[in-house]
Amino acid sequence: MNNLNLVRGLVLMAIALTFGLGSLNYQIGHFSRAGPGLFPLLVSCLVFLIGLITVVRSRFVQAEPLSYNMKNIALVLLGLCGFALISEHLNMIAGIVFMVFCSSFAGTSYSVVRNLKISVGLIAVAFAFQYLLGLQLPLI
Amino acid sequence: MDILHNLAFGFEHALTLQNLMYCAIGCVVGTLVGLLPGLGPLSTISLLLPLTYSIPTTGSLIMLSGIYYGAQYGDSVSAITMKIPHASSIVACIDGYQMTLKGKTGLALFTAGISSFIGGTVAIVVLATLAPTLGEVAFLFGPADYCALMLFGFVCVSFVTTGSLLNGLAMALIGVLLGTIGTDVNSGTARFTMDMPFLMDGIGLISIALGCFGIAEIVKNLDSGSQLTPFNGKIKLMPTWAEFKRIIPSALRGSVIGSFLGILPGGGPTIAQFAAYAVDKRFSKYKDEIGHGAIEGVAGQAAADEAAARTSFIPLMSIGIPENAVMALMMGAFIIKGIQPGPNMIAGHPELFWGLVASMWVGNCFLVILNVPLVRYWLSVFKIPFSVLFPSILFFCCIGTFSINNNLDDIFITSIFGLMGYMFMRLKLDPAPLMLGFILGPMLEENFRRALLLSRGDFSAFITRPISGTLFVLIAIFILWQVLVFFYQSRSLMARKQAELQSLG
Repeated sequence: MNNLNLVRGLVLMAIALTFGLGSLNYQIGHFSRAGPGLFPLLVSCLVFLIGLITVVRSRFVQAEPLSYNMKNIALVLLGLCGFALISEHLNMIAGIVFMVFCSSFAGTSYSVVRNLKISVGLIAVAFAFQYLLGLQLPLI
Repeated sequence: MDILHNLAFGFEHALTLQNLMYCAIGCVVGTLVGLLPGLGPLSTISLLLPLTYSIPTTGSLIMLSGIYYGAQYGDSVSAITMKIPHASSIVACIDGYQMTLKGKTGLALFTAGISSFIGGTVAIVVLATLAPTLGEVAFLFGPADYCALMLFGFVCVSFVTTGSLLNGLAMALIGVLLGTIGTDVNSGTARFTMDMPFLMDGIGLISIALGCFGIAEIVKNLDSGSQLTPFNGKIKLMPTWAEFKRIIPSALRGSVIGSFLGILPGGGPTIAQFAAYAVDKRFSKYKDEIGHGAIEGVAGQAAADEAAARTSFIPLMSIGIPENAVMALMMGAFIIKGIQPGPNMIAGHPELFWGLVASMWVGNCFLVILNVPLVRYWLSVFKIPFSVLFPSILFFCCIGTFSINNNLDDIFITSIFGLMGYMFMRLKLDPAPLMLGFILGPMLEENFRRALLLSRGDFSAFITRPISGTLFVLIAIFILWQVLVFFYQSRSLMARKQAELQSLG
């Protein structure tokens, strides 16, 4: 399963199946009077076909290893979602602090003092956005 | 004389104090963000798009296009000084960086700046003359022709940006599928919304752009974990007369090539640079020096880059079909501002069209006057370590997503697309065609359904109409050619494997 080309084909097929099976729930109609489900169904068939070709093709071309690192993307996404949740229930200042501290674990070095400085700077930028550009931010 | 009159009308709008300011801000901010490693024009525009929400329509579009060519100039600066390639400045890395190694950074930057100016000027003349004419042609297009044109665009973009027709086409089609999420315009059925009310209006353009380009790029840089060493060399800007004379012919050649390639579907800066560089390598008087830090190697590609960036506005503004991912984003910005680009735009909003054209030239001047002499100060952006930079970029992603609808839920959608963007990146699938597919998806569906309705479900309508027929034949030839290339390659691979086996046995 460590072959990039094979995985790519399988992922494409999975996406096509998700949309294709989903579109069967809607009215398909005829070509002359298309329902809402017809177009997504056609397009997902094409994507499925491309996925299939990719899988078949992966048998004939040189295998490429698939490399990934879940840690960084997980930290960044956690920072984003945390920012949204905290801003919704508490306020955006706390959200900014959380995001900075959480996502900077993904960096090459970690420093609490630097994170505090970044947070203060970003909070200042947020206030500037609110008062100068007129954005409605739930800051407090 | 009509054109001169129109241009004068445009300058009237572009030279108001307010619009001049927006143009200058766009150029400077675009250059600064474009300089940052990993942020090309696409991510720069999607990051800064929310800034333009509270600005009047003409001003915001002027600022956005300023951001666009500012970002492109910033890209070429980081390519020349530090050999950081972006999609839009791969060629600048070759000769530009060689010139830096020889201590001629200033000359390279000046050449890039001046050539961009020349390329931009030529392209604006082309834009001003051609766009209204092409707008007339657009009225000949029926629904089937629009479908064919969009599919042709997908095929071209897939091939140009990713080099692999299969991967690019898959991404464009996934973009089309994502575009179907939301309420179907014809029947009012909610599709793929999973009963979530905020998906009824479809997915936000910004969420996809920031997720696939912003967040995925940040994580890519984090994964590689590399720290950049800032550029500390000396910069001497003014060239000698002899050097200056060498810029002109090459830049003019580049402008013509760029202007032409910018108009074609799937065209745009990337392919124009390569073409201009190749032509210079063949026809330039100094062709032996190219590749080892020749002025021509920088001038031609920079002019082509800029010219193509400008003329790629032509299909968007005259036919209403964006030809590459950056233009798709621009189209999104037009629509957010309540303006539908297309044949009616020039007639309906002349102040917008001609103001934009004129402001492009003004922006060109800003780039030369502001950015070329100040470039050494801009370069201090690189002294900021990435560990400080990326939380700030994330913050801008959040604010940008939030400020579209003042809705924090949108940040979750952006996160989901961040994850998808990361997955696509690891699977070596380029998200640029996805963007184009997403923007064109609803239009493609609309025209596809309308074409079939008109022909009563008969597919031959796509073949028999002259415009769509020609385009479909071109698509077929293209696909056939790709299949042949694949078989040829796999055959030679097999032959090599067998030869290896024989030599082992």
